[in-house]
Amino acid sequence: MKNALLIGLCAFTLGSASSVMASQITISESSKSSSAHSLLQFVSSDSQITKGAENFVINMAQRGIDFLSDQEISQERRTKEFKKLLETSFDMKTLARFSMGRHWRTATDKQKKEYLALFEKMIINVYSRRFGEYEGQKFDVRQSRPEGKRDHIVTSYIVPEEGQEVQVDWRIRYRSGKYKVVDVIVEGVSMAVTQRSDFSAVIQRGGGKVSVLLDHLRK
Amino acid sequence: MFEGKFKKLALSLALGCTLLIGGCSGSNKDTVYVGDIEVSDPFEGANRVISDFNQGFDQIILHPFLEGYRFIVPKPARTGLSNLLTTLQSPVSFANQLLQGDLDGAVTTLEKTTINVFVGAGGLFDVAGYEGITVEKEDFGQTLAVWGLDHGPYFVVPFLGPSSLRDYSGYVVDSFMDPFYWWANNDANDEKWFYGKTAANYLVLRESLMDVLQELEASSFDYYASVRSTYYQNRAAMVSDRSPGDFSGSDIPDYDDF
Repeated sequence: MKNALLIGLCAFTLGSASSVMASQITISESSKSSSAHSLLQFVSSDSQITKGAENFVINMAQRGIDFLSDQEISQERRTKEFKKLLETSFDMKTLARFSMGRHWRTATDKQKKEYLALFEKMIINVYSRRFGEYEGQKFDVRQSRPEGKRDHIVTSYIVPEEGQEVQVDWRIRYRSGKYKVVDVIVEGVSMAVTQRSDFSAVIQRGGGKVSVLLDHLRK
Repeated sequence: MFEGKFKKLALSLALGCTLLIGGCSGSNKDTVYVGDIEVSDPFEGANRVISDFNQGFDQIILHPFLEGYRFIVPKPARTGLSNLLTTLQSPVSFANQLLQGDLDGAVTTLEKTTINVFVGAGGLFDVAGYEGITVEKEDFGQTLAVWGLDHGPYFVVPFLGPSSLRDYSGYVVDSFMDPFYWWANNDANDEKWFYGKTAANYLVLRESLMDVLQELEASSFDYYASVRSTYYQNRAAMVSDRSPGDFSGSDIPDYDDF
């Protein structure tokens, strides 16, 4: 009712030019109730997922910090725990597939299988080493946002006792009810992109052969 | 005296422009992609040789030296030196922020520098940083990027590492923008001050990069390609002024061809 009054007022003040506009508005008004409802539902579920991604990162970091800072447990146990955490939180297949880039299509099924296994092992080694240097820095999640069609970016900071804080962005994908990390971006440098640059250079300089990369990964 | 310096500046600018134009006409063969960023590396052969040399130099000479520096000079002193150099460099950041049309950034730089000079013992203490005032270091390479210029060809600089024609030309221009340079080149002063500052900058920069580079070396198969990738990503982040909502890396598809 109020809207109709407003449109009427517009039409009155702006004269003939606005009559077209007024009719347009009327059309959008009539369809508004249903579309607004579904839009609202979409927005709220989407922001719920973003919030969920944020909580996922907080929980993952807390789990990591708990056993990284636990002086009681053995190094062996720590590595095992870390492996478990990475296996459940990272989308290893997607990460591996992205890192291989277009060369994936030239790989045989046997090579793909071996690559996926070796890649996961490598990631666990690299990240165990990186996070093994944890020295009680504060981990601070400050914001999150949807990114592109599929993902959510959770922005966190690693805050040392003194000196510069380090910005770490987590690209989180929500699929079939589960959150997974598909990329870690440190100060604007994406681990996935860097990995892909490395691998594609190795394959390219090896004459386009995937087996050359596998040789490196086996070492 | 100044005349000679201007001649040098004009010469390096002219050289830079010629190379930039030449660099733009590189063939596709030399192009690699880092995420969405196009990287032109027509001199990869020579670059790899210099990169290998740098890697050896870092490993055998620089990094052991920096370990010694860390061992002998306590952390607060190292931080103080780094803060002091940031303060000395701030006129260059300020000028570049103005050239980029980043007025907010310029004001913040001015604010931070004033606080640190007067309250932070001439810039030794980052008092403003404790108060939450952080600034970006801006250089002329970033300014050229804001103006719409591409990197041009990728270069590995001996002893220094990754750069591009745009960024390295920017580095040369920055040194001419630096009031400290003109002060040290004044007849009443000693040019050695400027070389001293350049050396100190090198020390602080390389110390801040040591752990990252060692980690990259340990976790990559092709160190050259990994450094190049990281460099372009990092520079892109700096050009965008690292607004917190900006970093997203590359889009990662939802693969179904496993």
